[in-house]
Amino acid sequence: MIRVRSWGVVGRVVDAGHLGRAWLGASRGGAVDLESYALADRLLGNHAGTRQFETSGGLVLAVDAPTMVVLTGAVAEVTVEGGPPLGWGAPVVLPAGALVRIGRLLDGARAYLAVRGGLVDGPDALDVGPDPQTAAAEHAAARRPPPTDIPVWPGPRADWFTDEALRRLTDSAYVVTTTSPVGTRLAGPALDRARTEELPSEGMVEGAVQVPPDGQPIVMLSGHPTTGGYPVIAVVDPAAVAAVAQAAPGTEIRFRVAGVPRISR
Amino acid sequence: MKLLPYGPRAMLAEFESLAEVMTAAARWRSAELPGVVDVVPAARTVLVTHDGRLDPAALPPVTADGAPASGPTVVVPVVYDGADLEDVAAACGLTVDEVVELHAGAEYTCAFCGFLPGFSYLVGLPSQLHLPRRATPRTRVPAGAVAVAADFTAVYPGESPGGWHLLGHTDLPMWDDDRAVPATLPPGTRVRFEAR
Repeated sequence: MIRVRSWGVVGRVVDAGHLGRAWLGASRGGAVDLESYALADRLLGNHAGTRQFETSGGLVLAVDAPTMVVLTGAVAEVTVEGGPPLGWGAPVVLPAGALVRIGRLLDGARAYLAVRGGLVDGPDALDVGPDPQTAAAEHAAARRPPPTDIPVWPGPRADWFTDEALRRLTDSAYVVTTTSPVGTRLAGPALDRARTEELPSEGMVEGAVQVPPDGQPIVMLSGHPTTGGYPVIAVVDPAAVAAVAQAAPGTEIRFRVAGVPRISR
Repeated sequence: MKLLPYGPRAMLAEFESLAEVMTAAARWRSAELPGVVDVVPAARTVLVTHDGRLDPAALPPVTADGAPASGPTVVVPVVYDGADLEDVAAACGLTVDEVVELHAGAEYTCAFCGFLPGFSYLVGLPSQLHLPRRATPRTRVPAGAVAVAADFTAVYPGESPGGWHLLGHTDLPMWDDDRAVPATLPPGTRVRFEAR
């Protein structure tokens, strides 16, 4: 049994979400940084798609039986009472009675605290699912800080923007102001429109860079609305969406044209 | 049709009319093309998401005079007791009974979903009932509310804010996670409302 003593900042239980339901009005949902979430399952030897904790800090848990856990995603201040230290990317067995506190995130926007067997609903608390009967990783995973250099492809409404706006998007730095499962809001040089008429709502994808009338872009994440009425200027390369998901408020990101490596100046 | 770029795993097809959108969405979904993840109709577009290997030339052509939607018919039982029923009647120059008769007498088709999981935009609303959205949206519309706005009618799948005019309510759930297709009224479904 796992008792959540505090959910902290937007702590929740996530799975991988469901693709293929956008036509019914539901985006993927589930873990916002799908790569870090999936890494946790692999390190623990779990079958893919288990339910795990996603937190932006402040999650406090107690376990009442020996439980193997791993931490991926953001690096966090972590303390364990009554158990061994819990580092990033290294499976650890917490003894019965251990209390884990995830404090501030030091690098990144979301951490994943995953348990071997995954989380299932118990009668009055979360419980641990059946053991996967496969080996867990013996060594810690190598961690690469998420890149802040984000490749983007032209979006369906790139031609609704001025040439200057298209240049600004890939020539300027944008700073993350807020991030939620819906999307990450950025602040930087305004992206001005060449066409200002109203756009009938149209389908959006994870990674779509949507621009509301204030010209400040929003990158859609796993819980995005399936349709939106603001023009999409660009779309983040699918392989870089997880990096955007880990860009915490204050992080400076730079978009570059996908397929063309950035030349250091 | 105009095909717009949307990165390596999606494309957006833009059409002149909602009728073409509905034809394209139905045809492309039923084609079950390899690699296609989703076919998402909206007001003037169809978004096709895929695994990166879809050739746009593989999408079956769409003609304006395409066959009408031929999905299953779902009957939605409605108690016409909505908070806006009398206002709608007044705004349309009708009696409450006439509003109910018109709304329950028409046959609708789900054109697309959006806003919330299981929120289906149904076309086929008699023109006498076309009204702009409420000037001030409600902060809370109850789950199951049956509502109209512009040329659409819909059922709110869960409690949410909303600016549509409320005609009544249904107990028929609009979403069930355990079904293969969780929405009750997916695009292409024909819908009738039955007064209870």
